[in-house]
Amino acid sequence: MTVASAQAAGVVRRGLVLSAIGLLALGGVYVLALGHTPVEARQGLAQKIFYLHVPAAWSALLSFSLVGIASALYLWLKDPRLDRFAAASAEVGVVFSAIMLTTGPIWAKPIWGTWWTWDARLTLTLFVFFLFIGYLGLRAAVHDPAERARFSAVVGILGMLLVPFIHLSVYLFRTLHPQPIVLKPSAPSLPPEMLTTLLVSTLVFTLLYLGFVTTRYGLALADEAREDARDAA
Amino acid sequence: MPDPLRLALAIAAKDIRAELRSRTALQSALVFAALVLVVFNFARDPTVLAATDLAPSVLWVTFALAAMVTLNRAFNVERENAALDGLLLAPVPREALFLGKLLANLAFVGTVELVTLPLFMLFFNVSLGRALPGLLGVTALATIGFVAVGTLFSAMAVRTRFAELMLPVLLLPFMVPPLIAAVQMTSRLLADRPLSEMWGWLRLLALYDVVFVTLCMMAFSAVVDE
Amino acid sequence: MPPEPPQNGEYLVAAYVITAVILMGYWVALWRRAKAIVSGKGKT
Repeated sequence: MTVASAQAAGVVRRGLVLSAIGLLALGGVYVLALGHTPVEARQGLAQKIFYLHVPAAWSALLSFSLVGIASALYLWLKDPRLDRFAAASAEVGVVFSAIMLTTGPIWAKPIWGTWWTWDARLTLTLFVFFLFIGYLGLRAAVHDPAERARFSAVVGILGMLLVPFIHLSVYLFRTLHPQPIVLKPSAPSLPPEMLTTLLVSTLVFTLLYLGFVTTRYGLALADEAREDARDAA
Repeated sequence: MPDPLRLALAIAAKDIRAELRSRTALQSALVFAALVLVVFNFARDPTVLAATDLAPSVLWVTFALAAMVTLNRAFNVERENAALDGLLLAPVPREALFLGKLLANLAFVGTVELVTLPLFMLFFNVSLGRALPGLLGVTALATIGFVAVGTLFSAMAVRTRFAELMLPVLLLPFMVPPLIAAVQMTSRLLADRPLSEMWGWLRLLALYDVVFVTLCMMAFSAVVDE
Repeated sequence: MPPEPPQNGEYLVAAYVITAVILMGYWVALWRRAKAIVSGKGKT
């Protein structure tokens, strides 16, 4: 086993352990959310989806922003580590976006009476999801690593700059088209149990992000090490 | 060193001449546009849905799809002729190259749009009259927006394995803001609403164009150069 | 007596289960990829 692949294996192991810890901590969040927090009077039990949906949104946004920033830095500095990181962050971002896109409608149905609504949050999530999918699809379709890195970086930057325009479109659409008044999912002032649970959950999701990205980064390193060894043989 | 703008126009002229000779992109797009208009017209129930309610969406979906077909064909033809490689070897500033391609693609898509518009009026019984100048302006602005991104992405897609699939998948999210703005403005223009109601959308379109044309121009060299 | 909160527990269960499945599923997928690479390297 070469030095490079041993290093890669180390990164992968650390990532897997970190994310496993995150998953265990998530179990703790589940206990907190299901047992410790009060039941909201107007929304009932379904309101507790909030403790998963909001941190997932935070992680997805984090993933996406970091892909954009890493892409910009890559085109400037040409460091392959940035490209590897962007790819890892994008894949993890898809996972968190998927959670948002499933928990969002599941929450919306009992609260707002409809599975989907073109409000700012859900619309942006959907488009960030599409952008991620396009980004990953592009990476899969380009063989040469340098070309793949350059193309991905371009899409990453353009994608990051598209988000404010989508936000603006939704905003314009809603201000010019008055919508029926809907219940806002989160209460204006959160009781302490709700706030702490939310914060803990956000921390756990951030931990999961770090663990997953580390693992994914390590796997990319391992893949490259294997390719290099094969080329050298 | 020739003036970059003139260079861009020369590149655009070359592409347009090539397309006029083969006509593949224009033909497919026009047939496609006519087909979409006809299908949409037969798909709706005129007693339930008035033409004017549906019309702006139909028009813009047609424009968007025709644009994608055109962009794809245009770059494929280019690739088959390996003409781009020759251009890249010459010390042509990449921004001029992008601008030339953009102008050529705008000419193609613009032609499709100009032909589609009378068909649209015919099938949907819409009289454009006073709305026409506004409509042409909106069409121009929105088209510039998504053709700029489309030109950049088709340069990328052509180098990938699933080019025909890659371009729509990548381009779709980027077409949404200009399309929404265009549909909203078209709908208001056809209903003869005052300009004040469209101001927000107009600014969105203009901002989108400025940002993305600049960005795509700068990113073009990252795509075509090693 | 204050009104009863709506009975929508099944949505809660669905959301919590799906989230757990997605996250654990992704962990397993990563783990399996890691195993495949390690065993693959053994052969090289």
